[in-house]
Amino acid sequence: MQQLSPSVLLVLVPALPLVGAVLTMLLGRSLRSRAHLPAVVGIAAAAGVSLVLLAATAAQVGNSSDAHPEPVRPVEMITTLWQWATVEDAYTPPSNSEALIPGIVLPRDTSGVRAFSIPVALRLDPLTATMLSIITCVGLLVAIYSIGYMHGDPGYARFFALFALFVFSMSMLVAASNFLIVYVFWEAVGACSYLLIGFWFRRPEAARAAKKAFLVNRVGDFGLAIAVFLLWMTYGTLDFHDTLSLDGTILPGILGQTRLADAGGIVGGAVGAAICLLLLLAACGKSAQLPLHVWLPDAMEGPTPASALIHAATMVTAGIYLITRSAPLFMACPGALAMVSIVGATTALVAALIAVVQNDLKRVLAYSTISQLGYMFASLGTGTMLGFTAAIFHLVTHAFFKALLFLGAGSVMHSMGGVIDMRRFGGLWRVMPMTAATFLAGACALAGVAPFAGFFSKDEILTSLHSKAFPSVHGNHGPESPAAETAHLHLTSWMHDGRLALDASSTYGLDAIDRPEIWQILFWMSLVTAGLTAFYTFRAVFMTFTGPTRVPEEAGHHAHESPAVMTLPLVILAVLSAVAGWWLFSTHWLSHFLSATPSLTAPSVARTVVPHLFHIDLAIQGTLAAAIGIAVAAIGHLGRRSDSPQMERFLGPLGSLFANKFFFDQIYTGLIVRPLEALALLAAIIDRSVIDRLVDWIATIPLGVGAIVRQLQSGLMQRYALAGVMGVLMIVLALAWQLRG
Amino acid sequence: MNGFPPGTHLLLVIATPLVGGIVAWVLGARGRHAVRQSAAVTAIFTLAGAGWLIVRSLQSPEAASGEPYAVIEVPWLVDGIFDVRLSLGLDGLSLWLFGLSALLSLTAVLVSWEAIKERTVGFYVLLLVLEAAMLGVFAARDVILFYVFFEFTLVPLFFLIGIWGHEERRKAAVKFFLYTLAGSVLAFLGLLTIVLWHASHAGTVTFDIDTLTAGMAAHPLPMNAEGGWLQMVVFLALFAGFAVKVPIVPFHTWLPLAHVEAPTGGSVDLAGVLLKIGIYGFLRFSLPMLPDATAVAAPWLFGLGVVGILYGALVALVQTDLKRLIAYSSVSHMGYCVMGLFALEAVSVEGATLQLINHGLSSAGLFALVGMIYERFHTRSIPNLGGIAARAPWLTVFFMLFTFSSIGLPGLNGFVGEFMVLAGSFQRAWSGVSTAYGPAYLTMSVAAVVGVVLGAWYMLWAVERVFFGGSREPPKSASQHSHGAGRPDDHGHDADAPPDDACDLKWYETLALVPLVVFVFWIGVVPATFLEPSATAVRKSFRASAEAFDLRMHMDVSEHRTLNPSTPHARNTKASVVHLP
Repeated sequence: MQQLSPSVLLVLVPALPLVGAVLTMLLGRSLRSRAHLPAVVGIAAAAGVSLVLLAATAAQVGNSSDAHPEPVRPVEMITTLWQWATVEDAYTPPSNSEALIPGIVLPRDTSGVRAFSIPVALRLDPLTATMLSIITCVGLLVAIYSIGYMHGDPGYARFFALFALFVFSMSMLVAASNFLIVYVFWEAVGACSYLLIGFWFRRPEAARAAKKAFLVNRVGDFGLAIAVFLLWMTYGTLDFHDTLSLDGTILPGILGQTRLADAGGIVGGAVGAAICLLLLLAACGKSAQLPLHVWLPDAMEGPTPASALIHAATMVTAGIYLITRSAPLFMACPGALAMVSIVGATTALVAALIAVVQNDLKRVLAYSTISQLGYMFASLGTGTMLGFTAAIFHLVTHAFFKALLFLGAGSVMHSMGGVIDMRRFGGLWRVMPMTAATFLAGACALAGVAPFAGFFSKDEILTSLHSKAFPSVHGNHGPESPAAETAHLHLTSWMHDGRLALDASSTYGLDAIDRPEIWQILFWMSLVTAGLTAFYTFRAVFMTFTGPTRVPEEAGHHAHESPAVMTLPLVILAVLSAVAGWWLFSTHWLSHFLSATPSLTAPSVARTVVPHLFHIDLAIQGTLAAAIGIAVAAIGHLGRRSDSPQMERFLGPLGSLFANKFFFDQIYTGLIVRPLEALALLAAIIDRSVIDRLVDWIATIPLGVGAIVRQLQSGLMQRYALAGVMGVLMIVLALAWQLRG
Repeated sequence: MNGFPPGTHLLLVIATPLVGGIVAWVLGARGRHAVRQSAAVTAIFTLAGAGWLIVRSLQSPEAASGEPYAVIEVPWLVDGIFDVRLSLGLDGLSLWLFGLSALLSLTAVLVSWEAIKERTVGFYVLLLVLEAAMLGVFAARDVILFYVFFEFTLVPLFFLIGIWGHEERRKAAVKFFLYTLAGSVLAFLGLLTIVLWHASHAGTVTFDIDTLTAGMAAHPLPMNAEGGWLQMVVFLALFAGFAVKVPIVPFHTWLPLAHVEAPTGGSVDLAGVLLKIGIYGFLRFSLPMLPDATAVAAPWLFGLGVVGILYGALVALVQTDLKRLIAYSSVSHMGYCVMGLFALEAVSVEGATLQLINHGLSSAGLFALVGMIYERFHTRSIPNLGGIAARAPWLTVFFMLFTFSSIGLPGLNGFVGEFMVLAGSFQRAWSGVSTAYGPAYLTMSVAAVVGVVLGAWYMLWAVERVFFGGSREPPKSASQHSHGAGRPDDHGHDADAPPDDACDLKWYETLALVPLVVFVFWIGVVPATFLEPSATAVRKSFRASAEAFDLRMHMDVSEHRTLNPSTPHARNTKASVVHLP
């Protein structure tokens, strides 16, 4: 048998779930309770292929070895499937194009005329391989779990079709090698999420939550769309990779190796910063960061497996993926990069504070997801190799333990007859020991208890923040921010004719926020968040699983452990949550592997590589924060029952602030939704009573058709219609006649 | 069969609906079923003929070189100074619109299957005449035929709305007719001026569009004080006709009324095809023939396009009638076409022409589905509907698909056009306008992207209310009268109502929608198939205007510079002065 080439395998990863989705959709009715088969088999096959690709890519990257500190060579492979759209000669750069971007000495097409060309191209590199493996493997486990969880639901086939469709879209999102195709699947995963949140569409809350998720995401997409337009204007391409033109010259892609090898290849300044901030807005939408986080808690109206995969493990990490992928762009704009951290750390803290007073188990987990994603953002914003790899590391461990926690919560919900309010049950470890044990493993990982996975990834994130906050401790010499060097390209007059009255070389003070004091604040915020995380996680564990056994009446007599098809994925994820962190941390396998991603081989990133060191003092600080959090939770909730109202009362006015989620929903309703609705109403009134009347008036009076209208109203419409046509024909004939004579 | 002359083929395709109309008329005595069957067969034949013609055209050498295909000419008045021929043919501009007309005509026949019960013969005959007129208007290659077909699209629709419409049909029909007729008379006067101006220079009176275009390039209409700004006057006259048709805000108020009152089949044709004639007219006449006036008007029309996008979306947001909501969404979506057209950038103009097809597919689909909902529940009022998803899952699936297409979800067709229009607009704003216009253009482009968010808002709001939630619908009396849903024990109020086969799509309804869905996906996934054949013709049509616009912008810059030599812009841009014409 001929060996399958990597490019075929790469195409198979999204294709197999897509086939599964289509088959499930078409055969759903006849397969009935076996409707999950096409989807699960498709995702399982994709998972297998992804792991093969991961291994193949890893083999190309080579072994990690601190003995050979030479820079890692970028590893990437591109497969172009078909040409999506082409518009020839779409854009002629302004006539003084020689002076456009002085830093770029790349072989550009001499005419300067660019074609708007969008290939559907897939890429394989370490970052993509990692993401694909997580998506398909966690996807497979959740899909297996869903066989038990969704059993008997009237929309069984629909669920699996949408689920597989999501796996397809998400795989395409991380494999696409073009900003426009990324945008395509960026919205496609949003649509899958919309359909799955609104899965139980008979419930008005579910329908409303679905709409809210889509709309808030659209605001983020708005940012991505404009960022894509600016990228097209700035770079004349939307490809990540370099392409060969017909005459053999290399057209450098935005994140291609040609451009990255060149120090000035990436545009900074105001335009660069604008692009980065818009990308950040997009990432905030998808990854539920402040101020666009409001959709994720409501998204819990969807089926729990969907929450586990989409709203915890994969889709919400798309923002982290996007920023990591665009790392070189951000490195050219230190201000924008610092904004990523500021947004992330703030979100982490705010979401953790809200999680503290939630009583709905799934909402605790939802806010915790927002908070953990904030951690990843904070880490990305440091703009160091450690920061980027730590964020992806945390992404991986988080995918394991958060999927585990959600599935555990689903298992509880399944057994409690759909009740998810923690105040209504307790002591469940006696009822469902397997769920309790695995949930505890996930909780330890989330809280950052050594040696569970979360401990190591969180430690790396804290280290990366610490190294920015206290550079001297970490032996960082030279410029405070290595990125700053590349930031100020000499861009004066590159915008031709100065037509946009921007001083392109300045970022209007944005870069000034990249200061150690800011980073110190962010570091302390993250440390506090770690403590809060441990507190709310163990508060949930204690409220749900310990104490006297209480079961709500909805559960009836069916309160029992979930079937094996549901507990098996839990066990696998629990094992991963327990050991993956230690393994990946001790071998540095992941960070070495990721550093061969083309985006991270950019000199601006590569020069930030520091030797792997385990900072024991930081580990102690992190563990201490976690220990305090767990201890407080134990004092408050272990032994005696403590309800949230007490918690709120204990916190005083702050408690009501947290319980009301910092009033974000109310502020948006008051500041955006209501004014827009009022404006819409005004427009409708104007439409009906001003424009309509006015145009009627203008149209009727000068034409003097008032009389005809009267005739028409007496029922002789046909006459007028005929007269109109005849009249026009007569004009033509008369004219012809006249000219002739 | 390849020897079969394409010109005859084209003529046959246009004549088929007329022949079919006669057949339907003859069969009228045999009852409703025979009539609608013959209409459907005619529409299928026409579609097959049109499809085959398009395939032939794509393979022809003419298509490769950007020449018109299937040209057929009939000399009408050729002696002395007269050179009047009736001429038909297809080129890149008209190819897809021609196909769309044939496709949507089939949809229009099928959605009327059960909806039209009275005076069936007249209805289907008019529908087929309308089809012939729509095909003809896009195939016309001379001003006379264009105008005759243009007028002939009005008459059948006028009767379709006036006779088979809903409660306020008379008012709607009259309003529709007056608006479009008033506009088209002005447009005709404008076209006549072009013909006469050309005749006065060339010495022959010709109505051939290509000859006129070439003539206007050689002897442009005067665009200065001595010439009385004649070019602008003609542009405005054409604008009156086409702007009403598109419709461009504020000439849109006939549209919601006409749509709400029209029978479903009429709405499908109106939204799907007739609105496109406006943009097509701009592309065919205004842009190539009146470049200087277009260059002056472009910023204003670009702005009106953006206003249309936002205004249409805002008004749609507060509608309670589902059909009216979709009508206003049409106003919003056609705004993208106007904006893309008058950005005068290759990407955006090609995007706008594709957007014509996209909007044709999605709005026709949505109007068809609203008609189906009305047939079942006898209301289009959003507050009175709800929970349809539980009872009619397939209807919901289709509605969701067309909704996603309409709000520009990537992977479906709507996204491609919208994205290209916006990309071209940003390009224009970024580097194609003078300093004075730059910020305004950029603001408008960003505002147009806001329209994308608003578009999702009103459509998803409507979907949420109409399809999701518990089954609030239908009001009891309506349920009992509706076909198939008339269960006396009223399952509808049960929150767990099972899918109801009788309430879901019928075979002919599925048949009406599936072809549209095929193209919704096809355009979304491989838009290149549809962009490439029209690229040359589109480019040819807007090139003159784009050049005139660029020239104007450059003159603006140099004026600006001489007036304010000390502005910072002037200092930054010394290099480009050399390149000014």
